[in-house]
Amino acid sequence: MRAAYRVLGLTISGLVVIQAAAIAFAMFGVLHFVDDGDLLNKSLVDDRTGFDGAIGMNIHSVGAILISLLAIILLILSFFAKIPGGVKWAGFVFLAVLLQWVLAIAAFGAPAVGALHAVNAFAVAGLGARAAKQASAVAADASAQEAAAVT
Amino acid sequence: MTLRDRVRVLVGVVVALAIVVPLGWMWWNSRLPSSYSVMDMGYMDYGGGPHPAAGHDHTAGMDQMAGENSVAALETPKGRKPDVVVDLTARQGTVRLADGRKVEGYTVNDTSPGPPIEATVGQLVEVHVHNANVTDGIAIHWHGVDVPNAEDGVAGVTQNAIKPGQDYTYRWVAPHVGTYWYHSHQISHEQVAGGLLGPIVIDPKTPDKGVQEVLALLHLYDGKETVNGRAGFHDVEAAPGQRVRVRVVNTDNGPQALWTSSPYRLVATDGHDVNQPTEVDGRSVLVPAGGRKDLEVTVPADGSGVRVSLGGTGLVLGPKGAKAPGSPPPTKHLDLLHYGSPAEVPLATAGADRRFTYSIGRRPGFFDGRPGLWWTINGHLYPDLPMFVVREGDVVHVTISNHSGQVHPMHLHGHHAIVLTRDGKPVTGSPWWFDSLDVQDDQSFEVAFVADNPGLWMDHCHNLKHAAQGLVTHLMYQGVTTPYRLGDEDGNHPE
Repeated sequence: MRAAYRVLGLTISGLVVIQAAAIAFAMFGVLHFVDDGDLLNKSLVDDRTGFDGAIGMNIHSVGAILISLLAIILLILSFFAKIPGGVKWAGFVFLAVLLQWVLAIAAFGAPAVGALHAVNAFAVAGLGARAAKQASAVAADASAQEAAAVT
Repeated sequence: MTLRDRVRVLVGVVVALAIVVPLGWMWWNSRLPSSYSVMDMGYMDYGGGPHPAAGHDHTAGMDQMAGENSVAALETPKGRKPDVVVDLTARQGTVRLADGRKVEGYTVNDTSPGPPIEATVGQLVEVHVHNANVTDGIAIHWHGVDVPNAEDGVAGVTQNAIKPGQDYTYRWVAPHVGTYWYHSHQISHEQVAGGLLGPIVIDPKTPDKGVQEVLALLHLYDGKETVNGRAGFHDVEAAPGQRVRVRVVNTDNGPQALWTSSPYRLVATDGHDVNQPTEVDGRSVLVPAGGRKDLEVTVPADGSGVRVSLGGTGLVLGPKGAKAPGSPPPTKHLDLLHYGSPAEVPLATAGADRRFTYSIGRRPGFFDGRPGLWWTINGHLYPDLPMFVVREGDVVHVTISNHSGQVHPMHLHGHHAIVLTRDGKPVTGSPWWFDSLDVQDDQSFEVAFVADNPGLWMDHCHNLKHAAQGLVTHLMYQGVTTPYRLGDEDGNHPE
């Protein structure tokens, strides 16, 4: 259970990195596309073909769902994993992911909010790693105790 | 296990249930049945107007409503000989575009865009549609042409999809001069994108012989924008001094700015003339997805051409070999709220019989079992959407507002509506009739129309990807029913 908690925390952090990579790919793809003299319009962006980096947008959409799903599983798992502080950190991850959705929705209408979406992404990644560390610390403690019991 | 552990597990179970049960319930409820009627979708919205007699309620279901007017009966009266007969054959496969590029998609009579349909106002148009091999079936909708409901060509609402090898005949009297287009309304987000479409021009009885007519149909084929199937700019021959009417059709999912290298007049929008259009210079006009704009330009007398730009593609109008100056996109758009001159509108909008709200939002949830960020109408997700109910003759007032973060080109079938206000500011220019209206984020339009075409009509976003994501509702005339059904079982998927 602890191992699963740890893996979930790390996976969420890792997926945030992929999310950042995907959206950066999309953004540079757009810049490259217009550099070639092509004009980008809504139809092309919605079609998600015809320009480099379009696939980055698709990855970002799928990644958002995946991270949300993992955050929910992490929160549920935390109650059974017997990790001191495990519920707290899983709860923080869950809330940060929730906030990420709110910021994403708002950013379509108010692009400046998109900056906060990026900042909060670091919070999600950091909290995921922090949760995983909590599980590792407990596991280390448990091993130390077991080792002590044997000697 | 200590008491503390037990409490912890109990809390865990409660939290897990508190998360999983509502999510599971939302997921379960969002799944669409394999067969369902638009009449069973969502809830009735009478817009403050009278409700139908008892037993005709939504909950009464189809069986009790049988025997009332079926959409199938709302057809063009038989007996009259057609004035214009058109045969259209739809095929799926490789499309060879006018610019030589080959893409996978759909053709109509072996071309895409399909052949133009041209008629004079008042003529009876009979279109024989044959589906040669489109596996999923097709249905042909006459976008912007206010045809009788049975001829509207929406799979699962006004007909069943035309399966491979099948034929279907549409008959309609050309109701109004203007520029329109036809396209598939079966799995439209794929079939329209793939090119199953073509232009329609309805001419006046006495055309203006001094004006040359040119079509400019914008379509994105496999990631490249084209006009009339050609990427980049292509020449259209026109004599110096010649007045040219450019009929622009946007068949894509997003708005497109349209501008010219010489001043233009916007003479019509969505098939309705602009009253006293003035000359425009240094501003582009936005063509909403599904919308049409007719521009008039005059070819310079000095032998040069006029560049008509739709983004990075378009036309050069002029004598053979004429060069047209490059024209960067203007930073300002023409505002139709104040363009042209006011005129009498045959619509008593002050005392509307029904007042509806069509508020577009977006939130996380499930759509047919899929998690994601989905569009809402009045706070509800598809299929739990309002069915706007009217009676024939009603003056209908609709407030369309958008809080979803993205533009939505709203398209009501079978009717033209008029813009009254935008963000509370009234129209001061020409009457602004539309069938495809861009509603930008944070914008609110008050519009009105007369319920003068009985039936069951789609009222949806013409970003067809959005429509396929559930931004679709319907306008229903009281007493009208449909025998057609949506879903996998019947193979009808209009979006």
